[in-house]
Amino acid sequence: MSREPRRGSDGPSPAGHYRLARAVLYREAVLFVRYPANAIGGVVIAVFFFGVLFYGGRMVAGQALTDSIEGIIVGYFLWTLSVGAYSAISNDIGSEVQWGTLERHVMTPFGFAPVALLKGLAKVIRTFLTSGVVLGVMLAVTGTALELNVLTIVLVSGLSITSVLGLGFAAGGITLLYKRIGNWLNLLQFGFVVLVSAPSLDVPWLRVLPLAHGSGLLQRAMVNGTRIWEFPVADLALLVVVAVGYLGAGYLVFQYATRRARRLGVLGDY
Amino acid sequence: MATREGRSTDATAGSDPAAGEDGADRVADTPDSGDRRRDRRSAEASESGPGGAGAAVPAVAVSGLSKRFGSGPDAVTAVDDVSVEIEAGSIVGLLGPNGAGKTTLIKSILGMVLPDEGSVRLHGIDVREDSRAAYARVDAMLEGARNDYWRLTVRENLRYFAAIGGVDPDSVAERHDRLLDRFGLDSKVDTAVRNLSRGMKQKVSIASVLAGDADVVFLDEPTLGLDVESSRTLRAELRRIAEERGLTVVVSSHDMDVVEAVCDRVLIMSGGRIVADDAVEALLAGDDRHRLRVVARGIDPGLVADLRREFDGVAVDTEAGRTRLRVAVDTDDLYALVARLREHDVTIDRLDTVEPDLEDVFVDLTRGTGGHSR
Repeated sequence: MSREPRRGSDGPSPAGHYRLARAVLYREAVLFVRYPANAIGGVVIAVFFFGVLFYGGRMVAGQALTDSIEGIIVGYFLWTLSVGAYSAISNDIGSEVQWGTLERHVMTPFGFAPVALLKGLAKVIRTFLTSGVVLGVMLAVTGTALELNVLTIVLVSGLSITSVLGLGFAAGGITLLYKRIGNWLNLLQFGFVVLVSAPSLDVPWLRVLPLAHGSGLLQRAMVNGTRIWEFPVADLALLVVVAVGYLGAGYLVFQYATRRARRLGVLGDY
Repeated sequence: MATREGRSTDATAGSDPAAGEDGADRVADTPDSGDRRRDRRSAEASESGPGGAGAAVPAVAVSGLSKRFGSGPDAVTAVDDVSVEIEAGSIVGLLGPNGAGKTTLIKSILGMVLPDEGSVRLHGIDVREDSRAAYARVDAMLEGARNDYWRLTVRENLRYFAAIGGVDPDSVAERHDRLLDRFGLDSKVDTAVRNLSRGMKQKVSIASVLAGDADVVFLDEPTLGLDVESSRTLRAELRRIAEERGLTVVVSSHDMDVVEAVCDRVLIMSGGRIVADDAVEALLAGDDRHRLRVVARGIDPGLVADLRREFDGVAVDTEAGRTRLRVAVDTDDLYALVARLREHDVTIDRLDTVEPDLEDVFVDLTRGTGGHSR
């Protein structure tokens, strides 16, 4: 019997992870293009808050703020990325529960982990696009020039917000168990401001917290023009370890919460 | 002959959809495949499964399944030591009053609820031990129509959930076209689901469950919210598609007409246990009492309560001051009933004997044992 995919002849052929990735990313792209209001709204709000921060800060702090504007822009860029990734993944899990689609993602032959990670990746890509626009507007408004080495910025900020994805998974898992807690967990994103601006150079242990070490490296990349291959290997290794560690821990929390929700019979209940 | 040998007991094949090399051998729902269900049943019957060489592997095998929620005196036993096997290719109705344990049983079979005791096998694959392999063969529409993305179009939903279910959406594009045609959605393929009527949304939900290659399908209230015509069409198409593709379908519904029209076999749950498990015809044939249908005026709620206590299978429906009463009676009961109505000055407008239907059997079996009978 033929085992070739019978494309067009109506014989179901198995989908691999490539097909799965295409389906998940396509869905995200379709929603992004077809319903741009959410993305535009997010960009407008982010730019508005930056405007308040910039013009308000200049009135209060004057030259001091102007001198440190590069650092503020980089920090704000990373913060918008973090908030986008965190809220997208945690809210997405909550929404899937409401829509009744969560069970179908749990009940996939791929296993929930790859599907969830691909959905997370889709959210991160979307967040990069919107935060990129916010970054462009910030540079234009303030007349600031930064080193924009795309490879370095994407790698460093991508790894930085991977740790936040882990927090998003954990928050999503807790939302499965305690449905009404989602809005409270969104408050955590304001804590990202503290992490992004943490003095990780002066207080080394802060580097093991999400975002803190990555924020420092991103400042060096975008303000000083340090390229990815110019960073010490130890710094890059720590960035990877923190990213993988928090993502793994977040996913474990999510798995535990999912298992407990199944035990309690509340998985998918809303 | 298109069969799926190697699939049912080859758990490793399902553990990685990319490695699901048997996928190309799956049965297609081509219009001329009406006999394939029988072919596949016989093919699976000849497979060596957990039951040994030559034993048929049931599509669903539940053994000693129990689930309690809570602890101490407030604990509720939702499913109580249920064991049941469902033959591949059959359509089974799951009935029971609210709170009987139907949803918990279905979710336990699907692994959405972890049972306290017992095991579940889908085509011989233990759902708990090898859930990925099991999930390659099962899909479900749970609790109403909301199991797809309303902001995607109808076709996008079918393609997405086919991929999530481990099937290349391009390979089933023609199947999707036929499915949508049969459900009367062919003119809505590029419409966002959010813009469809409730009935159409329901159909899209069912279509998305059938979009992949799952051959065990659970449908919870598939006709909820549909008008009479749509419900009738859906029943017919569901039966037809199930037969063509050799699907094993479990339909949980309060709509007795759907179950009677579509299902080969009925499981009735009450108080967490299965209280009846038989073919629809056998259940009806087993009820040898007459049914009286009385249309009368002057039956007050107190009298209804008395009748429920004194007689079996009482179903009441009141409209515009007239009460329609169905009662299961033997000869002695008949005299007693008439006497009781006369005693309360009830005016009988009409009195007929009727053949018992599934609702009568259901009311008899679940009366006073959990949930509430009608």
